[in-house]
Amino acid sequence: MKILALETTGKYGSAAVIDDGRVYCAESSGEMNHLKEIIKITGEALEAAGITKKELTHIAASVGPGSFTGIRIGVTVARTMAQMLDLPCVAVSSLESMAENVKTAAMESGCETVAAVINARRHQTYAGAWSIKDGKLINLLDDRQYMIEEFLEQLAGNRVYFVGDGIDAYEEIIQAETGLEAYVMAEGKLRYQTAEAVAKLAAEAASEGNVVGYEELMPDYMRLSEAEQRLKEGTLSDKIKKLNRRG
Amino acid sequence: MKNGKFITLGIETSCDESAASIVADGRELLSNVISSQIDIHTQFGGVVPEIASRKHLENINMVIDKAIKDANCTVDDIDLIGVTYGPGLVGALLIGVAAAKAMAYACDIPLVGVNHMHGHVAANYLEHPELEPPFMGLVVSGGHTNIIFVEEYNTCRKLGGTRDDAAGEAFDKVARVIGLGYPGGPKVDKAAREGDKAAIDFKRVYLEKGSYDFSFSGLKTQALNYLNTEKQAGREINVNDVAASFQEAVVEVIVDKAIAAALEYDQKRIVMAGGVASNSRLRELICERAAEHNIEVLRPSPILCTDNGAMIASAAYYAYKNGERSGFDLDAVPGLEF
Ligand SMILES: Nc1ncnc2c1ncn2[C@@H]1O[C@H](COP(=O)(O)OP(=O)(O)OP(=O)(O)O)[C@@H](O)[C@H]1O
Ligand SMILES: [Mg+2]
Repeated sequence: MKILALETTGKYGSAAVIDDGRVYCAESSGEMNHLKEIIKITGEALEAAGITKKELTHIAASVGPGSFTGIRIGVTVARTMAQMLDLPCVAVSSLESMAENVKTAAMESGCETVAAVINARRHQTYAGAWSIKDGKLINLLDDRQYMIEEFLEQLAGNRVYFVGDGIDAYEEIIQAETGLEAYVMAEGKLRYQTAEAVAKLAAEAASEGNVVGYEELMPDYMRLSEAEQRLKEGTLSDKIKKLNRRG
Repeated sequence: MKNGKFITLGIETSCDESAASIVADGRELLSNVISSQIDIHTQFGGVVPEIASRKHLENINMVIDKAIKDANCTVDDIDLIGVTYGPGLVGALLIGVAAAKAMAYACDIPLVGVNHMHGHVAANYLEHPELEPPFMGLVVSGGHTNIIFVEEYNTCRKLGGTRDDAAGEAFDKVARVIGLGYPGGPKVDKAAREGDKAAIDFKRVYLEKGSYDFSFSGLKTQALNYLNTEKQAGREINVNDVAASFQEAVVEVIVDKAIAAALEYDQKRIVMAGGVASNSRLRELICERAAEHNIEVLRPSPILCTDNGAMIASAAYYAYKNGERSGFDLDAVPGLEF
């Protein structure tokens, strides 16, 4: 198995190739440079792995949650490469791959729970939590939208290792939460999404046959667009002028 | 190459159409697939960028696949990929750019980023096999109203543009105000046929003498004021008359300026492009007035007037022939100038 994995849902874009358990990763040079650099870093990851694109067996992408635009860049490139190279796709959750990435660090710092939190602004998050049992992640709180306070409440009594850019936004709220038994926050690059972890989860999924055709590789935005949300709530009319381009 | 012809795939996602097309030798249309999102956006009264971006992602691969199949081609036949990289909605543009780059990379095919507005002009190369620059161009679309002197393929000198709303935008806004809904242009066009174009005196805005710029934003205000006055006076409003009178005000100014530009630059052809070029009254009046000066008026058929991949393929072909190439670092540029 030789899998290309793309991760563009957060502020740092990366591409990785996993070949028989070994991962080769290339990172984008700056923040939010996804569209400009995605092909370049894809080429770099393949080169590091010493394989050509024709040798790939699967294309994987982090499908979200995260930046809507970022998600679309990675998923569109993955879909199109899979279409053109005639390969199956693997969808990976950005939250789960972040949790996977810090599993060892969490255990080493004495936490039995990993919480992945992505900032969705105004106290909102996309988040999920896992318990670590025998070195494996077991789902504890489902991946979905939470208010940060609500999410923390549900983690009461746990020793929690936090990962994700939700820390940047809600660090003070997390620190002020008294219900947690203990907490540690991922530092530096470990805090953010990386294709390396996406590649590892993709290899697991692919070996279990969890693959889809390129048409079925879909983003997981976890949220309707604002316009659709308002249509559902019946509050579209007062906002319509701001939402569409030619109001 | 197919049958000795150079094959270009054009990809377009700048607004609410996901489109792809195969064009041979820059001129011959082999397929033209357009997946319009108009039904989805209608319930919101206009294009919602986030929804457009989501739909482009879902549609684009199928659209590319169909374009290749409809042309009886395979990916191996494709010599060049052209893609719109601006102007347009950034989230929409980047779907096309990401797909085009991934395809160019996966299949080792050269890539050229295309200015959407050059694409609109190039729609005419598909329709009129003998047409070559130079000529006077009139681009009237949802986002643009430009008079441009097309000196060479993909080399355009902008003589004037709108200072506020574009012509199509004015149609869409006034249509909403008079309750015709979205998309406004075709609906106003139709209603106007039943109306009296002299019923209401909408202001013709010419700006400074000799200027090729436009200003249409006052028309919406004027329409609103008219409706209010009539309502207060308890008079029944004739929508057809409002549509016809408004349309005449837009069309007259556009035609006068386009003719003036052709005369000043000594051009015997005016080439129209963009969605508003489909307007029946604009066509009628510009042909009438151009004939008085022995000027020929050309325009693409309606399907090539609005956004499509074929016009992008044609523009890409001529850019490529001119030595242009885009790298894999091609980015979307929402505010790209002419
Ligand atoms: N018959 C018509 N009369 C007047 N306007 C029309 C007619 N048909 C279409 N339009 C207008 O044309 C516009 C759409 O044209 P087009 O698709 O070229 O624009 P766009 O691609 O949205 O804008 P741009 O190319 O400037 O980014 C809309 O504003 C629509 O109302
Ligand atoms: Mg257009």
